[in-house]
Amino acid sequence: MPRKKINTIKLGAFVLTGLLALVLLLYMIGKNQNLFGSTYVLKARFENIQGLVAGNNVRYAGIQTGTVKVINIVDDTTIEIVMLIEKRMLKIIRKNAVVSIGTDGFVGNKVVNISPARQRSDIAQEGDILLSKKSVATDDMLQLLSKTNTDISVIAAELKTTVQRINQSDALWSLLNDKSIPQNIRLAVANIRSATDKANNTVASFQAVASDIQQGKGSVGTLLKDTVFAANLNEAILKIKSVGGQADSLLYEINTMVAGIKEDKDNGNGTLHALFKDSGIVIKLNASLDNIQRGTDGFNQNMEALKHNFLFRGFFKKKAKQQEKENKLKNTASQ
Amino acid sequence: MPEEATIVQSDQLISADTANAVSILHLYKSFGNNHVLIDFNLAIKKGESVVVLGKSGSGKSVLIKCIIGLLKPDKGTIAVFGKNVSEIKEEELDKLRAKVGFLFQSNALYDSMTVRENLEFPLRRHWIKVSQVEVNKMVLEALDDVGLAHTVDMMPVELSGGMRKRIALARTLILKPEIILYDEPTTGLDPITGKEIIDLMNDIQEKYNTTSLIISHDMNCVRMTSDRVVILVEGKCYANDTWDRLQQNKDPKVKQFFE
Amino acid sequence: MVLPAEIRSFLSEAGELSRFTGRFFSQAFRPRYELYEFTRQCYLIGYSSLPLIGLTSFIMGLVLTMQLRPSMVDYGVESELPSIVGIAIVREIGPVISALIFAGKIGSSIGAELGSMKVTEQIDAMEVSGTNPFKYLVVTRVFAATLMLPVLIILGDTISLYGSFLGVNIRGTTSSHLFWTQVIDSLAFSDVLPAFIKTYFFGFAVGIIGCYKGYNSSKGTEGVGRSANSAVVVASVMVFVIDLLAVQITDLLGLN
Ligand SMILES: Nc1ncnc2c1ncn2[C@@H]1O[C@H](COP(=O)(O)OP(=O)(O)O)[C@@H](O)[C@H]1O
Ligand SMILES: [Mg+2]
Repeated sequence: MPRKKINTIKLGAFVLTGLLALVLLLYMIGKNQNLFGSTYVLKARFENIQGLVAGNNVRYAGIQTGTVKVINIVDDTTIEIVMLIEKRMLKIIRKNAVVSIGTDGFVGNKVVNISPARQRSDIAQEGDILLSKKSVATDDMLQLLSKTNTDISVIAAELKTTVQRINQSDALWSLLNDKSIPQNIRLAVANIRSATDKANNTVASFQAVASDIQQGKGSVGTLLKDTVFAANLNEAILKIKSVGGQADSLLYEINTMVAGIKEDKDNGNGTLHALFKDSGIVIKLNASLDNIQRGTDGFNQNMEALKHNFLFRGFFKKKAKQQEKENKLKNTASQ
Repeated sequence: MPEEATIVQSDQLISADTANAVSILHLYKSFGNNHVLIDFNLAIKKGESVVVLGKSGSGKSVLIKCIIGLLKPDKGTIAVFGKNVSEIKEEELDKLRAKVGFLFQSNALYDSMTVRENLEFPLRRHWIKVSQVEVNKMVLEALDDVGLAHTVDMMPVELSGGMRKRIALARTLILKPEIILYDEPTTGLDPITGKEIIDLMNDIQEKYNTTSLIISHDMNCVRMTSDRVVILVEGKCYANDTWDRLQQNKDPKVKQFFE
Repeated sequence: MVLPAEIRSFLSEAGELSRFTGRFFSQAFRPRYELYEFTRQCYLIGYSSLPLIGLTSFIMGLVLTMQLRPSMVDYGVESELPSIVGIAIVREIGPVISALIFAGKIGSSIGAELGSMKVTEQIDAMEVSGTNPFKYLVVTRVFAATLMLPVLIILGDTISLYGSFLGVNIRGTTSSHLFWTQVIDSLAFSDVLPAFIKTYFFGFAVGIIGCYKGYNSSKGTEGVGRSANSAVVVASVMVFVIDLLAVQITDLLGLN
């Protein structure tokens, strides 16, 4: 008895659309989880998997290539992760590739990163256990970055004062006339040297961070890996390093200069005057310091950029607050 | 005590089952502590028109719902055309119901269906093999019987109370039932419309020679339609006689209906 | 032991409802099958509810996204907005809100329809007309509600996510490709399947409670109103109870 005529076409369209939406959704999710495509298995062992769970993504050189299938506890210090890798990677991933655990973004899910090693090696086969690398905690890295930054500031400041001292040729001139000139110069040179030493140390620790970053170690690594940030940082370090080199040659020049001054003094020659009249050395020193300044500026800019990156915001806010507190304490103490 | 003629001797009244369209024996029905029917007995011969008279709430509707199998009796047997309603299987009951028309007190028209669909419903549901042409013909014939052929595509809400009653009657007629059970057919209608319905019932009785069980407390209706009147008091068949003789009866419980 | 009247009536109501459900299962899988009526009910219950469910789902997706954005921005994870909204909608909000709307629309209409059929003896009339009213009215409606609500919810979720996509793009720009990639990336089978399976139970609960309330409606128009009203209330509460059970079962099965 056809009461309100029902439209079976509409009903069919309605039901089929619903089913299609469901099937599509499930298919997309399944494809994401590698449930349908053909896959093969690779394994890696860790001491600590940092909350990695089955289903987390596996990336090779940043490309989504699979998921974690299961996590087995082998013994009290060894945990094995079994990864399902898409078949297309079968020709790509080598036996000596390195597996590490990172984070997708700063607060995201854990991910497994497989990075290629520089050396050639055989292609990894089904069931192979790849090398694994302990990841660096993000906090430590940030601490290191921050410390390096302050170090560089100090160096820059020191170098600046030195240069200013040398630059003010009037004072220098009068100082050079003084008996104690060699002593003072020696002191300046010592200052420069210690500054250079510090710069060298800084550069070394910087490089460590940079290489970590480049290898995509840890969360910051993954975060920074594909950004220009790493490149900028590296550039800054290179600049600072070259300045360090220049500072070395400068040091040599100053050393010879000091020797010359000494000789002049001993011999009573007037070359000292001529030497300092010639402003070439001062210009050189100035240029070097400018370079350092620029390098430091670049780094500062990068740090600034880092600060503005929302992921690190919390960290720097905390730092700023600490500083403020200390300042306040100092102020109250001085009053 | 009622007079001799009206005293119901149950067993004597119920003759051979096959001769009777309906025979009810020792029927008991109660809802919790509300004992509605207590040892009720009644036999209706084929072609006979019997009116059941009773006060409101005395269990008249319960009685005919038991007959059609809508309610299960607690005890006793109800035989319709010799078949025990409370014991036969569902399919057989359905077949039996195709032969029994039921006019509900509240009409029970399906208000989501048009008049035509209302009438088609029992036709299609009873596994009766008929073509659409025949269905249309039967619908119009049944509507003609009640004089409402023009309402065929209307909805029940568009009809007046009397028209609805007649459509409901047409719906009971469409299967050409051998027994029709009327539950208070004139209640709630104005006297003129009530008279029309009564005339209609008599026409049908004449035309199709149906057996009728009419429930009513409308004395006009009782007088005009009954071959026999049964008075239901306190769950029992208290009196059982023709209208004329019951009218003469001096028993107070009988008399109160005729005042 | 004498229980307070409210508790006794609650328990007897629960018992009656269980009996009614048992009756449903004992009748549902035996012929005769009311296929035509079932299709009709699918149309009325399913297709006809789509505009309502679609509208509420759309608004919900949009509003949820706009409401979440400020705190996401505060935490600096604005780019995660599609993922979070996707999970919220697919796992919980889509199914539950749609089921509640469905309970309001379908639960009440079934309750009122069957209730008025009951009090005007239409159900009796059907039985007399060679129709098992339980199969014709109850089984078809319960099946239609059980099978249609999941379809409605899937479509509702989709519409809701589209609303969310628009919400994301009010204050930012995310391509639809990136949006859907992020949504699907954030979802796993263990998010979709339990959420989908529970919708069948939602639909069943709405259908069976609506039918129970209508079928046992007391005499008079007041009784019809009361059945429609209590059908909605009880069905809505049942949706939450089932949701609670579902989350615990998925938890036990380790699917969370
Ligand atoms: N389904 C039911 N459940 C409980 N009690 C009922 C039911 N149907 C009828 N009754 C009771 O049976 C008695 C007789 O009702 P009914 O047969 O409808 O009266 P009437 O003679 O006016 O038609 C009333 O007291 C009514 O309350
Ligand atoms: Mg009655």
